[in-house]
Amino acid sequence: MSNIWIPIILIILAPLLGGLVYGFERIIRARMQRRIGPPLLQPFYDFIKLADKRKMIVHSAHAFLGIMHFVSLWFALAVLLLGGDLILVIFLHLLSTALLILAAYSTRSIFSHLGANRTAISILAYEPVLIIIAVSIFMLTGSFDATAAFQSEQPLLYKMPLAFLALLLVLPIKLKKSPFDVAEAHQELTGGVELEFSGIFYEAVYTAKWLDYVFCYALVYLFAGNNILLGFGLIIFTFFYLNALDNSTARVSYKQMLRFSLTVSFSLAFINLLINSLT
Amino acid sequence: MYSLIALLFVVPVFISVLLLVVPKTLAKPLVITTALLLSAISVYLFINSEGVYYFGVPAYVNDMAAVADIILLIFFSWIAIKRKSWIVGLMSLLQLGGLLYLLNTMPAHYSLQFMVDKLSLFMFLLINIISSIIAVYSLRYIDEENCSQFRKKYFLSTIFWFIAVMNLVVSSNNLEYFFLFFELTTLASFLLIGFRKDEVSIKNSLTALWMNQIGGLAILAAIFFIDFNGLGEATFSNLLSNETTSGILLPLALLSVAALIKGAQMPFSKWLLCAMVAPTPVSALLHSSTMVKIAPFIILRLSPALKDTPVSNVIIALTGFVFIAAAIGALSQDNFKRILAHSTIALLALMIMMAAVGTPVTVVASLILVLFHGISKSMLFLNAGILEKVFHLKQSSDMDRLGETGPFTSLVITIGFMSLLLPPFGAFIGKWMSIESLGALATDKKILGALIMVAVAGGGAVLSLLYFKVMGLLIARTGEQDKIHFERTGPFYAVTTYILIGLLMATVISLPFLLNQYFAPVAGSVTGTTLVIVTEGWNMFIGTIKLPLVPMLIAFLLLPVTIITAMFIRFKNVDRAKEYMCGEKVNYSFSSFYFSTDRATPYFATAGILFFVALIMVALI
Repeated sequence: MSNIWIPIILIILAPLLGGLVYGFERIIRARMQRRIGPPLLQPFYDFIKLADKRKMIVHSAHAFLGIMHFVSLWFALAVLLLGGDLILVIFLHLLSTALLILAAYSTRSIFSHLGANRTAISILAYEPVLIIIAVSIFMLTGSFDATAAFQSEQPLLYKMPLAFLALLLVLPIKLKKSPFDVAEAHQELTGGVELEFSGIFYEAVYTAKWLDYVFCYALVYLFAGNNILLGFGLIIFTFFYLNALDNSTARVSYKQMLRFSLTVSFSLAFINLLINSLT
Repeated sequence: MYSLIALLFVVPVFISVLLLVVPKTLAKPLVITTALLLSAISVYLFINSEGVYYFGVPAYVNDMAAVADIILLIFFSWIAIKRKSWIVGLMSLLQLGGLLYLLNTMPAHYSLQFMVDKLSLFMFLLINIISSIIAVYSLRYIDEENCSQFRKKYFLSTIFWFIAVMNLVVSSNNLEYFFLFFELTTLASFLLIGFRKDEVSIKNSLTALWMNQIGGLAILAAIFFIDFNGLGEATFSNLLSNETTSGILLPLALLSVAALIKGAQMPFSKWLLCAMVAPTPVSALLHSSTMVKIAPFIILRLSPALKDTPVSNVIIALTGFVFIAAAIGALSQDNFKRILAHSTIALLALMIMMAAVGTPVTVVASLILVLFHGISKSMLFLNAGILEKVFHLKQSSDMDRLGETGPFTSLVITIGFMSLLLPPFGAFIGKWMSIESLGALATDKKILGALIMVAVAGGGAVLSLLYFKVMGLLIARTGEQDKIHFERTGPFYAVTTYILIGLLMATVISLPFLLNQYFAPVAGSVTGTTLVIVTEGWNMFIGTIKLPLVPMLIAFLLLPVTIITAMFIRFKNVDRAKEYMCGEKVNYSFSSFYFSTDRATPYFATAGILFFVALIMVALI
């Protein structure tokens, strides 16, 4: 990542990349279910169609916060890709999600509220693991900067395999994939926090999800150090793992999710941290 | 200079007595003038001071202080008999016995009982300005309290009494004086917490009394061990100059225990949580500028001696634990003031931790947290009082209409929460510096450092969720109420709120300047080393810590500004829609949902006790 232009281009293209990942994901998921699935560009067709809908909002603050959720998430991603401080990145990401939660709480919609509560619980489930990963990286590289991880000669994966495993276990929560998709849970909550957004204002929340894909895969890439091949290998592996998991599991309740995450994923990352601190 | 410092002690005492005798109508001009005077003196002193001011008092004052001590302890014993509280009685008797023993055996030839250094001046600033604002606010608040005219004057009088003893606490050098003033703050808080004189108030004020008396007892024990171990005079300056002498750890540990109790760290957090029954200005006073701030003050004062000792390691571990435990405890709270109280405990833990680490950078972090927490919390509590008196709201779950009925108050509370949470406000910078500087700690104490970093970052994440939940309620509204009309709350409420917001904004904007000109010298005086702060390109370097200015600035635009804008912005030419209810008609109580953490919290107190035992054990070994 010595060349400054690569991250900048990545940042600018992030929503597009995320959209492509999403489109590809829908195809892969369909193939796993022996369907053909939509065309690769389907997310973008949806995007164009949404822009044409009648503009309706619950109230202005709600709609505005939705847009700002997208903007602040993009900013968090930019700081990560530019090799910024990981703790700052995690906090910014948390705060951008918090803006969405804030938006959902600001309406008097039952489903929005339930969704916001569940999103908050999801944050409680994955945030500690991310923080431990950041601290472990600090213990190994002596710096919180993501650059240190990107430039590491030896891939971090070899030093913190358990932390990577923990990351794999929390990523479905973050990306709202089964079995941990309680925050979205279309059958129960009809989308949760997203429900009250529509038309062009939904666009922001919709594309923010694409940004989240890029964000998560960038986190995965962190583990590869300066080994680009390994990085892409990890990303592709994670991609298939996530979709296979999504297709083959049923949703668990939010309590089960929280318990699993705080006992299994958290402990894995924590043991890894202890090992990193001792050596 | 000396006379100005003396004024800070004398004026509040004088006004406190005067308030009791003058008619109620004179109270307003009197309080406002004194507030201005005290603030002006403290600012002047802070800007113009040079070096350390030591001063002594004649021998007969020592005798008077001893008599005052005894009278105070007899008063506590009398309360114990009157309220039939055996634990208060036990504590008072133990203290009385200890004090009499010390008075008989200790050589009483101290020359310099008071020491005012940069740290004291810094505390003066916090104590006098914030408490004065609270006193002015109380003028209005107390009028709405259901009690006699004399009780109202008595309330205001006690506030000034509190300011006076706080000023004295932070200037004491001699530990016997320190003990006296420490106990006097306990007395002031006891009187204020029990102000409403109902059953709960009295019970809770007694809890606060006996818990803080343990702190007093710890100070007495510290004095005893200083003498017993032959360390010379029982003064702070002497303790700091003897930092490598063996046998010093025990007095240090005991003083730290006193600090941790004042700072409401677990398992002694109960007294602060119980203090909520008092009129709201009391909570504001206890949480922001007085009482609990003694805790970081003591640890900051002792930090050069504490640094890198086993005692400081235990304090760091304890506060790291308290930080995350208080954050988890806060999640299950619904009462607005209790949410604030838990966040105070958490942030205090952070301040104490940073002071105990004791490097220049962490001391700066601690100072930033002390000051900003003071401003933010007083603002939040004063507005909690407005919520109670004007809107009749106490539970946060009832606040979901506040965005419509009281948009201004809800805006102020939102700003208050953001100032505790988001960049670039001081509390965020403080938290940030904590995490980054713990990294430096982690190089030689790796496991402790790593654990504490996880605790701080995790606790921070938990607290931010809670704040956002409350903020979500505050900006809630429906499509029909899309316009904002600010309510009026009356001049005293409005003016104090404006001043606090002004202070908050001014300190945030001038933070880079303040860091260099004011925080760094104070930290330098505390640690005895100089701290270099330079700005290079996009980054500000505070010692070894890198503070990325540009991301901070953008984060400021994206987060606090966004949330404030969200309250005002109006989209034109967009249709309003009703919320989707899935075709059902149900009465759903919003915000009835909270996170139940009750199963975990009982263990926290036990863990806290273990930490305290460990604290004394490591000092003994």
